[in-house]
Amino acid sequence: MTTAMSSQTGAQGGPGEFAGLTPELLVDVLYKLKLCRYFDERMESLYRQGRLPGAIYSGRGQEGTHVGAAFALQHDDSLFVTHRDLSAQLTKGLELKRVMAQFWGRIDGYTRGRDGNSHIGDWQGNKTFTVVSMLPDSYPVAVGAALAYKRKREPNIALAICGDGSTSNGRWHEAINVSAIHQLPVVWVVNNNGYAYSTPNELEFKVATIAERAAAYGIPGVRVDGANVLEVYEATAKAVAKARTGGGPTLIESVALRWRGHAGHDAAKYVPKETLEDYQQNKDPVQRFERLLLDKNVVDQQQVDDLQARIEREFTEGYDFAQASPLPEAGDVVRGLYAEDGYWSSEPGRAGGTG
Amino acid sequence: MSQTAKQVEAGAAGHGAEPRGKRTDAGEATYLVAIAEAIWEEMERDERVYLLGEDIGVYGGAFKVTEGFIERFGTERVMDTPICEETIMGMAVGSAMEGMRPIAEVQYADFIANGFDELVNVAGKYHYRSGVPLPMVVRGPSGGGVRASSFHSQNPEPWFAHTPGLKVLCPAFPSDAKGLLKSAIRDDNPTIFFEHKWIYRRIKEIVPEELDFTVPIGSANVRREGSDISIVTYGAMVHKALDAAAELEHKGVSVEVVDLRTITPLDTETILRSIEKTSRALVLYESHRFLGVGAEVAATIAEDAFQHLDAPVMRLAPPNVPVPFSPALEDAFLPDVADIEQAVDRLAAW
Amino acid sequence: MANVVMPQLGETVLEGTVVRWLKQEGERITLDEPLFEISTDKVDTEVPSPAEGVLERILVAEGQTVPVGTELAIVGTGESAAGEALSEEVPRMAAPAESATEVPAIPAAPAAPVASAPLGTSAAAEVPTPPPAPAVPESVSDDAGTEAGERLPDRGPRSAILSPVVRRLAREHDVDLARVRGTGPGGRITRHDVEGAIVVGNVPPDGESAALSAPEAAPAIAAEPPPVAQAPPSAVTPVASVSTPAAPSSNEPAVTRPEAPVVANEDEEVQPLSHLRRAIAGHMLQSTQTAARAWTLVEVDMERIVRLRERVKEAFAAREGFKLTYMPFVTRATNEALLEFPMVNAELRGQDLILRRHVHMGIAVSIDGGLIVPVVRNGDEMNLVGLARAIDDLATRARGKQLQPDEVHGSTFSITNPGAYGSLSSLPIINQPNSAILSFDAIEKRPVVVDDAIAIRHRVYLSMSWDHRVIDGAMATLFLTRVKEHLETWDWDEDLDHG
Repeated sequence: MTTAMSSQTGAQGGPGEFAGLTPELLVDVLYKLKLCRYFDERMESLYRQGRLPGAIYSGRGQEGTHVGAAFALQHDDSLFVTHRDLSAQLTKGLELKRVMAQFWGRIDGYTRGRDGNSHIGDWQGNKTFTVVSMLPDSYPVAVGAALAYKRKREPNIALAICGDGSTSNGRWHEAINVSAIHQLPVVWVVNNNGYAYSTPNELEFKVATIAERAAAYGIPGVRVDGANVLEVYEATAKAVAKARTGGGPTLIESVALRWRGHAGHDAAKYVPKETLEDYQQNKDPVQRFERLLLDKNVVDQQQVDDLQARIEREFTEGYDFAQASPLPEAGDVVRGLYAEDGYWSSEPGRAGGTG
Repeated sequence: MSQTAKQVEAGAAGHGAEPRGKRTDAGEATYLVAIAEAIWEEMERDERVYLLGEDIGVYGGAFKVTEGFIERFGTERVMDTPICEETIMGMAVGSAMEGMRPIAEVQYADFIANGFDELVNVAGKYHYRSGVPLPMVVRGPSGGGVRASSFHSQNPEPWFAHTPGLKVLCPAFPSDAKGLLKSAIRDDNPTIFFEHKWIYRRIKEIVPEELDFTVPIGSANVRREGSDISIVTYGAMVHKALDAAAELEHKGVSVEVVDLRTITPLDTETILRSIEKTSRALVLYESHRFLGVGAEVAATIAEDAFQHLDAPVMRLAPPNVPVPFSPALEDAFLPDVADIEQAVDRLAAW
Repeated sequence: MANVVMPQLGETVLEGTVVRWLKQEGERITLDEPLFEISTDKVDTEVPSPAEGVLERILVAEGQTVPVGTELAIVGTGESAAGEALSEEVPRMAAPAESATEVPAIPAAPAAPVASAPLGTSAAAEVPTPPPAPAVPESVSDDAGTEAGERLPDRGPRSAILSPVVRRLAREHDVDLARVRGTGPGGRITRHDVEGAIVVGNVPPDGESAALSAPEAAPAIAAEPPPVAQAPPSAVTPVASVSTPAAPSSNEPAVTRPEAPVVANEDEEVQPLSHLRRAIAGHMLQSTQTAARAWTLVEVDMERIVRLRERVKEAFAAREGFKLTYMPFVTRATNEALLEFPMVNAELRGQDLILRRHVHMGIAVSIDGGLIVPVVRNGDEMNLVGLARAIDDLATRARGKQLQPDEVHGSTFSITNPGAYGSLSSLPIINQPNSAILSFDAIEKRPVVVDDAIAIRHRVYLSMSWDHRVIDGAMATLFLTRVKEHLETWDWDEDLDHG
């Protein structure tokens, strides 16, 4: 880790000690961080126990980017993420139990069983794009949403998250370029976790940082420490405000290692052990934020424990909900392809059994 | 947004600069003019409709379909983009998600390959997975016969016909082009509209001027009635089939010509009804013979009209090579009237 | 080893067609297990195996028609019981099987099939011309042992190809494909061929009506002079104008059978009969050979109807989109009379008379290359306008060749209208299996005596050919008189007002 990943990150804090967030909101951020961490860990356990079908794409270690960025959005702002960024969707407001129903292919999942795991989205409710595997397919789509806000004179913005791997793809360039040309209300976030699957930054791009590429598009680029949720939040909030007021896009590079492999089957042996240990011990965004709030007396240990208990309870409830939710009806497999067949505007059949 | 229908004088043909031509005094419109009228009228009708693509604004489009549009509708609704097909498609998706009704143009249908992923992996699957409608249209000039060789002559409709969730339209006549394009713009699904460039200025007819004239998507049309053999085809090949049918009539062979108009969703009912009548099917298409649109049509006939067949289903389509340039080669590549007559003869003699 | 031969199912049957082999070469078969399907003039049936064993060879391919007694296959030695079964079965099969027991393949010179067949009946003995052209059985004998598909010189392997639509239509309309000659390449039967067979009605719908066309009657009919010698001159006059072919007089019209090549003189031209033409020929001949035909003529005063028609025809055409002809008037009057005289509307089926509660009126329509008789179903329930519409529709579609097979079957009586072409009077051939046919000829102004004064009136000759097996002269005359009364006295305005 000698290039992009290891460079200096910004200092903690900002305007006000906590980036202008109230204690209430700070606790909410902590709750989201801990929820996402717990969810990620527990789902991996279930996956390894053979109790979870399909695949998992852990975002552990990147919660600072996910929560920090998504927390800066209003309800009507739209969020376009990858399968690594489920934590951002949970932060945006997706219900844990419906997310879990999705993982088990149930009818109450956000895609009604048409997709699995973190290939999820809730456009109708929380304005999140239903994840597409190819990356960064959501970047051009975010340009379109941002274009719509501008054309319709709506104050919303679009925020898209991808990883460093996506930045090598032509679409990434195309999308940022067009958004810059037309000063569209969009925020581009790249979580640089050091690896495109197994390929390190050195083999992904020649420049030292991703953020500095922004100059080539004529837009601001900033680099933040993904381990510091407040730093991510603050930079994003600033970019969101700029976009919302007609200032055009901003590129944010948030540096945070992915602790786990690309997917549940990947042991990530390509990540040096020392690097991983360094991140886990010194750059854990969840631990670091919890410690900060405890140190600054924003929360006490009892509150933290209560939060943890609430999260575990919610997970259990979500799990039970998911198991009880019926599978989709097999006969519906051909429905919902086109808008006019009414499948998505009607209540889904619930006679699929629970397998 | 309110979409008050405004009076349009003779559609798009009634405005400003029109090097693409306008309707004749008799009310005839070329295929190209009919397409321009459809877009113009729908833009007048619905403010959510906007255009994006390469060189469509100031320049008026590579084929001048949108000439004069930017003067009428402005740069916001006639958006010149960089050369970025993937993002053009993605923008169409994203803005459609937000309730707009984009019409994206690819300069040649061949270039749609550059935007393939957003259409196939995002647009086609999106509603099925999310319930979010994507009212978007992608237009592109397709087809050969104009000496434009392998990057400007392709028929990419099978690529998209094979993708669930997209609708694929290939009209052959000005009225159908206008009516289908208007239907596509009003449709809530991602629709790929292939305009055959060989037809653009060759074929004209009286085209309805009613603002609400549409042709339903998913409906084939028996363009010529006959009793001996059905030619099931679409696009430019419809015109070749009709020419051949006229020739064959002199030889005492009565040919029915079924114009698919829509590739997906395929109107199998009309196809099968024709086969029930004639018992012999020649499936004629311009996309490559191997796994082309006609391969599916042929399979459908074989599977669902078996009991009505008096001869094997026959296909006539270009070989599986890129569209060549040299007139000698392209003429050999594309089915022509003589090829069709020969195929019909073989089928009739079976 | 047992030889499988073409059985004689019915004493007058001379040949049969192998429709389908139910076993393939090399397959085992037990005694009496169905081995193949045949189609003959009398009956279509499965034939059980005469022995247990292995089907060693198939000698006659599917689709081939061969004389009774022809060897069709060899069932090889199986269990010991087979020989026993064989000796029991063979005599009934009327085949020279005894001598074949030890012969490895085909007997070198099987007895001439026809001659050796036990055709003991006098009818068969009197068959005036030799049954099927000798080329066929001879070639079978000569070619024995070669590929089965090459047997018939006229019909190559393609003639055995039955396309899906041909199979379906044949099944749905009980068409015996063995009787349909293929006009496609290599003799393949096309959809068009089957439809021709269906439409013209050459195909007996079942075994009973096949019996009606049985050859027993042939010698007697053949001895008569040609029945339609005085037929009207115009070839387009339907039904009545078919002149009798030079009676080939076998049980089925020769037109369905392969024939020796026709030799034409220099000033002649050979034009093969179309399928339609062949079917008409067969149908007409069959009728003359079946019915005991008699003929009655009446004259009708059409003055009222002519004037009525003059008065309403323009309004009618404007309203209905087609011209009002005289056919609906005659049909209406005939329908009514048929309800009163059910025997005229009846059919002789075997030894029974079939009476009907409805009239399904066959209307002869002249079309390119022949004629066709579409049927106005339940015409007795229609008034004048309804009949006019139905007749116009059927005639129009008949000329456009758009009739459905169902629409040309099931008539109970028929009317032909050669008068449209100017004939004064005609002698129509009965449309089998009807019992009578009415001919409606040209309406002319003629001087007639009315109230002891000579007047000029529109008159027409109505005549009827009728089957004396069913109807007698008195009834035929009363029936015609009733039609005449209706035509001369009815108040048609009511019908026209309730169109």
